[in-house]
Amino acid sequence: MTLASAEPPVIQLSAAGYTYPGPPPVQALKPTDLVIRRGEHVAIMGPSGSGKSTLLNLLGLLDRPTEGKLEIDGIDLGRASERDRAAVRARHIGFVFQSFHLLPHRSAIENVMLAQVYADMPRRHRYAEAMSALVGVGLAARAFALPTELSGGERQRVAIARALVNRPSLLLCDEPTGNLDTAATKELTDLLGSLHSQGATLVVITHNPVVAAQAQRQIRIRDGRLWEQDPGVPAGKELPAGQELPEDPWPTENLLVHEDPGVPYGDRSGGSHAVQGG
Amino acid sequence: MRSRAVSHRAPARRSRSVQAPSRFRLADLASEAIAGLVQRPGRSALTMLGTVAGIGGFVAIVALSQTAAGQIGKDFNVQDATQVTVNDTGARGGSANPTMDFPMNADALADRIHGVLAAGVWWSVNNGNREVSALPPSAGGTKVGLPVTAASPGALVASGAQLAAGVLFNQFHEATAQNVAVLGKSAAAQLGISSLVNEPAVFIGGQPFTVVGILAGDPRLPQLNLGVTVPESTALRLWGPPPSYSPAQMLIHTRLGAAQVVAEQAAVALRPDNPKLLTATAPVNPAQLKKSVTASLNTVFLALAGVALIIGAIGIANTTLVAVLERSSEIGLRRALGARPRHIAIQFLAESTALGLFGGLVGACLGVLVAIGVTISEHWTALLDPRIVFAAPAAGAVIGLLAGLYPSLRASAIEPADALRR
Repeated sequence: MTLASAEPPVIQLSAAGYTYPGPPPVQALKPTDLVIRRGEHVAIMGPSGSGKSTLLNLLGLLDRPTEGKLEIDGIDLGRASERDRAAVRARHIGFVFQSFHLLPHRSAIENVMLAQVYADMPRRHRYAEAMSALVGVGLAARAFALPTELSGGERQRVAIARALVNRPSLLLCDEPTGNLDTAATKELTDLLGSLHSQGATLVVITHNPVVAAQAQRQIRIRDGRLWEQDPGVPAGKELPAGQELPEDPWPTENLLVHEDPGVPYGDRSGGSHAVQGG
Repeated sequence: MRSRAVSHRAPARRSRSVQAPSRFRLADLASEAIAGLVQRPGRSALTMLGTVAGIGGFVAIVALSQTAAGQIGKDFNVQDATQVTVNDTGARGGSANPTMDFPMNADALADRIHGVLAAGVWWSVNNGNREVSALPPSAGGTKVGLPVTAASPGALVASGAQLAAGVLFNQFHEATAQNVAVLGKSAAAQLGISSLVNEPAVFIGGQPFTVVGILAGDPRLPQLNLGVTVPESTALRLWGPPPSYSPAQMLIHTRLGAAQVVAEQAAVALRPDNPKLLTATAPVNPAQLKKSVTASLNTVFLALAGVALIIGAIGIANTTLVAVLERSSEIGLRRALGARPRHIAIQFLAESTALGLFGGLVGACLGVLVAIGVTISEHWTALLDPRIVFAAPAAGAVIGLLAGLYPSLRASAIEPADALRR
């Protein structure tokens, strides 16, 4: 991270927002500025319907921002062609999903190798790379098991191996522990921690305070607006004195809403007029 | 928002590509398509059924019609193709009275028709057998029941009679109504006549006949091999005109290819005064029959096979469409892993094409097997243009390709964000 200033951030949102066309149009993500640098471990938390999925789809290049700018590794991708966006998805982004999304008829290593197809990895290198990715998540022994023969935690580790096999610059996890029990959640949290310590850039969308607490940065999302939580403050805990409304304890100065620093917190209920589309 | 996103794309397309695009190699396409099929073997097999039935039907029908047409060609050998039969309609005398509508010089009249090699009149003298013996009735020789045939000398020639011994009776015997006879091979054996050296005689109903020849075989009038043949005029003299239940016929041996024309002219040439008394039957024109058989087989059964093929194509389209909807999360995953919409489309297109191809292969094999089975049971010789066999899988592949077009487009249009949420 000392090198962070020398290279472009992994993710840079500049006034990026997303509005569902409706009718009526719904501004699912208000224009937002967000920078995530290489090696950061970021947790994004928020209730259902808060805009988490919208944010994930934008960061994962599965959707385009309807306004503002989205850069990944310094490449402007908000308005890039689908060809370029697919190429960046293949090589720069690794996805981990709540429901794993493993192909049921393929063994663990075949599922990992699927990610290498579109990244144009030469066929003769695929097996070794996929096996080393499985070794990295501690599943070398289960490489030839079908997903149905694996536990939930093992399946999610296969999915992480698949996400990592192309050495992406960003690992994007959507509720990675949503379908896991406590023990598997612990294992997965440890795995994410070790990936972070090896220098991976992690963005984890989660409900789980344990998973979120492990992250360097916690970002809260609610009604399409993002708040940066102070580093070091565990998620879900009360902030220091001076803040009201303890059930929603995020200081306005930490709002990531673009060009909208002066909106009083209490005005949030006044509706979306507070945020004008960038 | 979709429209806004699209409107932004135009300038971006012109800009330089940020990096090498994601790829979907041919080898990967093939292995993904095969994997997609073999991972659901039951469904793939069921989906192929329509194509298998259609292609198999096509191949079997084409093979059978080619075999049948070839068989007709084979059956129409030279012997049949050069034979014309002229029948006495019996119109003059009514069904009860014996009639003889062939003139006595019928052989000579028929010989004048261009293309005729030999011609003659013949009939069975009686319905059952006549008592024939090798010794006079007074000597009390053993009587054998044998069929007796009256034939003009021309009829013996036209029938292709082959002699084991002696000669055939000739125009002299005919003109003078001599009591001469030609014995069939088995008749001679029954009567104990094996040699003509002693000029043996046979007695038909007490009438003596000199045996002038013994037949070795007769391809066109095989009944002559079994009994006794006497000249036409002799039979008329002794037993009268042919009975109404076995009227006289004329057998004409023509040059190859002349049978049709000879048949058209025979009745008029024989009875210019009343040609309606006679009807000539020529063999069916082999080329025409071949054509009509092939045509009728083709129109009816090829239509059925075509229907099966259409159903097969609809089946593939249907199953592929269902698979697209069912595998939408897989499509979303592939898009997230860097697949472009065209990669998704081509994968499903390859799967449906492979289904059609395998269906065509299996269908071609089954069609050939069915054709061979029918051919063997009919004792035919199987005939099949090998191009049909090789074209069948290709046709299946084209059907699969066409059937996969719409589902593939649907697959490529699936939004990954929506698909992954499921």
